Amino acid sequence: MSSLISDIALGLSVAASWEGLMYCFIGVFLGTLVGVLPGIGIMATLAMLMPITFHIDPTFGLIMLAGIYYGADFGGSTAAILMNLPGTATSAVTGIEGYPMAQAGRAGPALFMKAIASFVGTMFGVVLLVGFSVPLARVALQFGPQEYVALMSLGLVAAAVIGTGRSIRSLVSVTLGLALGLIGLDLNSGVGRFTFGMTEFYDGLPLVAVAIGLFGLPEIIANAGRSELPKVQEGKIRMRDMMPTREDWRRSALPMVRGSAIGSFFGALPGTGGLVATFVSYAVERKVSKHPEEFGHGAIEGVAAPEAANNASVQAAFIPTLSLGIPGDPVMAIMLGVMMIHGIIPGPNVIQSNPDLFWGLIVSFIIGNFMLLVLNLPMVGLWVKLLKIPYNLLFPVIVAFTCIGIYSVHYQVMDIAILVAFGFLGVGMKALKFEVAPLLLGFVLGPMIEQFFRRSLIVANGDLGTFFERPIAGTIMTILIAIILVAVAANIRGKMRARREVRNA
Amino acid sequence: MHYLKDRAEDLIAAFVTGGIGLFIVIESMSYRLGTLRSMGPGYFPAIIGGTMLVLAVIMLLTAQRSERLFSLERGQVRGVLFLTAAFGAFALTIESLGLLVSVTSAVFLAALANPNTKWPLALILAVCTAVVCVLIFRVGLGLQMRAY
Repeated sequence: MSSLISDIALGLSVAASWEGLMYCFIGVFLGTLVGVLPGIGIMATLAMLMPITFHIDPTFGLIMLAGIYYGADFGGSTAAILMNLPGTATSAVTGIEGYPMAQAGRAGPALFMKAIASFVGTMFGVVLLVGFSVPLARVALQFGPQEYVALMSLGLVAAAVIGTGRSIRSLVSVTLGLALGLIGLDLNSGVGRFTFGMTEFYDGLPLVAVAIGLFGLPEIIANAGRSELPKVQEGKIRMRDMMPTREDWRRSALPMVRGSAIGSFFGALPGTGGLVATFVSYAVERKVSKHPEEFGHGAIEGVAAPEAANNASVQAAFIPTLSLGIPGDPVMAIMLGVMMIHGIIPGPNVIQSNPDLFWGLIVSFIIGNFMLLVLNLPMVGLWVKLLKIPYNLLFPVIVAFTCIGIYSVHYQVMDIAILVAFGFLGVGMKALKFEVAPLLLGFVLGPMIEQFFRRSLIVANGDLGTFFERPIAGTIMTILIAIILVAVAANIRGKMRARREVRNA
Repeated sequence: MHYLKDRAEDLIAAFVTGGIGLFIVIESMSYRLGTLRSMGPGYFPAIIGGTMLVLAVIMLLTAQRSERLFSLERGQVRGVLFLTAAFGAFALTIESLGLLVSVTSAVFLAALANPNTKWPLALILAVCTAVVCVLIFRVGLGLQMRAY
């Protein structure tokens, strides 16, 4: 217990320092901004700020990037409630109930309850993060290469199969990501693989260019031609009108708790994350509600639960990232990338070797969420005004920042070409309905999986059974195979049924 | 023929996947394969390429009819062309002409991706962005890039 207090004190000394507060504020401010503005995603923002994080202390860089991540969800649901224009994918669920509330003149209570629910969810997630990360990392120190292979494979398969609906296509994305991760020098033999004789490829493809190409460029391309401005509900929102009624509080309390629990569960699972968590928690509330007929017409539970779930999942997503070094979603993959560029090897040792980073980041979550409360409740009018910035003047600036950001990583012109190539890949994959998120996870985890895979088999003398004989690895592998079989069976059965219906019709 | 046309989306996806898988397998054959006990650089790529081939076959067999093949929205072609030009301009000029010129040209071209943006406005935006970028990245953060 005393060590926990001293750890938190250490975190406080980092996060509450001048620089810590400043970068945290920049993060949540920019996060809210891009969350509110449609057409700029989290990934594109991370790209623009990437160059800055390479020139400051990694702890502050991560504090800032994390702030963007949870700040964007916060801002995204503000836009979802006021304009039914979710700025991020996860805030779409909030709009289902939030927008009808705003139309009925209850935007204030919806925004207020959203803020409180986000805060509750965050705190729930942070407590879990503190409670689980340290013991998990301690267990993980005993892991052999087999356990890592099993865990990472589970993460990849879960990312592909859960919540996408097109599991075969997502498995293809994962595999393609793994293949792209192969590019570069093979660490064991020194052979350059898939480099086609180009020295620029020896270090592998640059993560930043790949990520921004896949996520940022298709977004910019899709929105570049847009010039009309979103319609904003006129009328001022005053602080006085924001207070929810006692009835609102009573109806929201339990959904917040349920949402937090659901969110933490899905957030901690590698590969699933916030989107699944929000949809599941919304569905649960709808099912357990005493007045399900209100759903779709502004039921406050439908705001409180998904918001709590979303924010709890954001925090819980840091559990596997920080304690095992396994990223659960593309944003976490970027975080790990920043750590690696600073020479910090992600894994169970991070908590021990960089306690200031770990605890500083955790305390910054709490500080950042207080900042978000202030930024989003009294100052909500400011964000609404910001929606009047025309996008056609904004995106060229984003293009410039992206170019500089990517070029400044290695000072290689080749990286810009890689960015554009992955932009085209992203657009092409979207056209053929492939998910891009699993690809990025595969790309980040690929080199690690290969290393651990080869090491396991050297240790086990070439016996593939080694992945099933060790208790932890064996359990995970069994779950993994079960997930694949269920997904493939469901896929084939669904298609058979579809075919039969076509034939009968 | 109808069968192929109705299922074009799934079939294209399957063939692209299979093609990439095949390429990986062939390419991995040019590296030493090794054995399970001590894998060479070609072993893991061969597994990955093989997996893609298997997935491609599954996709081929379960191909379903889809509503319509993807279509490019109007204006998207223009966006793609101008944005590619913008990134290209930045890449071609950053090392020889420096930050000021490369950002100006990139922003100018990118701004024209939107059909409603007039070129004088694009030019003003481009010059302003370039100056701000030089101030932030060259003067402020001290990145190793020439300003001009």
